[in-house]
Amino acid sequence: MKELFLSKDNYQRFLEKILSKFSLYAPLQKGDFLFYQKVSKENISDIIIDTKRAIHPLKSFFIPARRKVSEYFNSSLTLDQKERVILGAKACDLNALKISDSVYTGEKFGAEYKDPFYISARERTILISSDCMAPDENCFCNLLGSKPFPEEGFDLNLSSLEEGFVVQVGSEKGEKLIKECESLFSSVDQDMIKKREKRREKAFKLLEKTNREFKTAVSYRELVKNSYDSPVWKEHSESCVDCGGCNQICPTCRCFLLSDKKVGEKYERYYLWDACLLTGFSRVAGGANPRKMLSQRFANRLFCKFYFFPENISIDACTGCGRCIAVCIGKIDMRKVFRDLAVERKIPVGLENE
Amino acid sequence: MNNPYQPIKTKILKVITETPQIKTFVLKPENHFKFEAGQFIQLTVPGVGEGPFTPSSSPYDLEKIEVTIMRVGKVTSALHKMKEDDVVGIRGPYGNRYPVEKWKNKEILIVGGGVGFAPLRSLFLSLTHNIKDYKKIVFCYGAKTPQDIVYKEAVLDRWQREFGKNVSFRITVDRGDETWKGKVGLVTTTLDNLDEEISSIPESVSVVCGPPVMMKFTTLKLLDVGYKPENIYLSMEKNMSCGIGKCGHCQLGKFLVCRDGPVFTYDQLKDIPAIWD
Repeated sequence: MKELFLSKDNYQRFLEKILSKFSLYAPLQKGDFLFYQKVSKENISDIIIDTKRAIHPLKSFFIPARRKVSEYFNSSLTLDQKERVILGAKACDLNALKISDSVYTGEKFGAEYKDPFYISARERTILISSDCMAPDENCFCNLLGSKPFPEEGFDLNLSSLEEGFVVQVGSEKGEKLIKECESLFSSVDQDMIKKREKRREKAFKLLEKTNREFKTAVSYRELVKNSYDSPVWKEHSESCVDCGGCNQICPTCRCFLLSDKKVGEKYERYYLWDACLLTGFSRVAGGANPRKMLSQRFANRLFCKFYFFPENISIDACTGCGRCIAVCIGKIDMRKVFRDLAVERKIPVGLENE
Repeated sequence: MNNPYQPIKTKILKVITETPQIKTFVLKPENHFKFEAGQFIQLTVPGVGEGPFTPSSSPYDLEKIEVTIMRVGKVTSALHKMKEDDVVGIRGPYGNRYPVEKWKNKEILIVGGGVGFAPLRSLFLSLTHNIKDYKKIVFCYGAKTPQDIVYKEAVLDRWQREFGKNVSFRITVDRGDETWKGKVGLVTTTLDNLDEEISSIPESVSVVCGPPVMMKFTTLKLLDVGYKPENIYLSMEKNMSCGIGKCGHCQLGKFLVCRDGPVFTYDQLKDIPAIWD
């Protein structure tokens, strides 16, 4: 993969150049969290890309919470073609796109019915990711075999050093963007790469330290097998208030509901985020509901991530971003659920695992 | 843009009242529309919403599509108010079909409950279109009361005369009334003494559709009388919203009902928890 150097001053110029050509979205601090926000000349210097992931899931750019998908019975809807740049996505964000890509554009989820809205949103987006350097207490990508820095799925990736950034070029789109302001970039030397590796290792070690007590000797995928009747689901869902916040904020949760309404003389159909934690999610019109109990829905969310997706596309639908932990009113921590599933089966956990 | 969420404008040609709760809608889509028995469609009541339904008409009838619908929720209540010449929308067909080519020269047992007759009628009409291909069809059906029997004229009379001895019917109601001269009992009671009509149960296939509790007890009885799990075909009811493998509502174990079903063999489902709920 091609690697270049971008000095701190040139990074600012690069952002200005991007801003002159595209709409730009990047993480900005708001209260306790980082949120992706639209960047303008006024807030361009407030962008934070070298700490941790935004709380806001990247999916919102490709599958917004509400989107008009049909006006019937005519087909006058057009797709937005305007190119945009998203800056500062982290490895956990990019890994989550593998799930939504597989559902909306892949071969395994209704290949003949690819979603034109999702495809166009992906195509018109340039993704400039960056290394995660300050994972917080909720982050656990390491427990799922991931790294806190992107290895694929980006157009460009920026690794922050004191003097600037090591830039990796991950796609033709990225290459094209670099070409447009080639003079801003110079070649990297081995010393920079070494510094980058050191910083990456530091972030990874921090994750290992944070998650030491949660590390289970077998994978989450193994732990959910045959666990339907485990008391762990009931115990951990006791503090769940059934709000579906974990669904909404999860970068891989992609379930939706189609909802119709009449607007004037026209009929409109909307795609709305739905949440499998909510009672009505699986209820049929006649009233039957295979997941009446909260504990069943709570378990199902994790079965979907560690059984349904692995069975279908051989990857976990969880990237360890920890947003579900950060957002939970009931202080439910998925890592503790899996720790208890392991304990129940006498599988080593935490320190005893070393 | 090829938009999979866009419904096809469809005219209601006729509305047939089957029972106090169930109507059959005869539909004519604006565009060419072809389905196979077992597949489902998404039917739109404009401005109200969509629901998944399996057509009840013959897949060989290319002029129209019939859908038999019980009034239970928001969409179906709005639909029940609609009349001839009103406009609805359809998308599809989606999902898999009954693998009828695998059933050639076999004895076929069809078991329906209530409005679960709908997809089975489509199957029945499809099978009888090539009746010589099959050794025997036994059609068992149960409704709550004589009033609740759908396609009454066909099932109690016309079909019984039309297809001769290769097709037989066992109709029952949970509760009879003064007009009812037939069998009274749950649909599972029609599965007693099956060997009088089916010469080799282990070689025979069975197809079940009805409310979840009926499907459960029927399947258990079929296993009990000797049907193999891979020869019990079930049409699973789930709340498909998109119908195209994306929205997640119809997830069942590792399956999506809209993509991998709605027709499953019991063999495929037997290890999935809570399949009957």
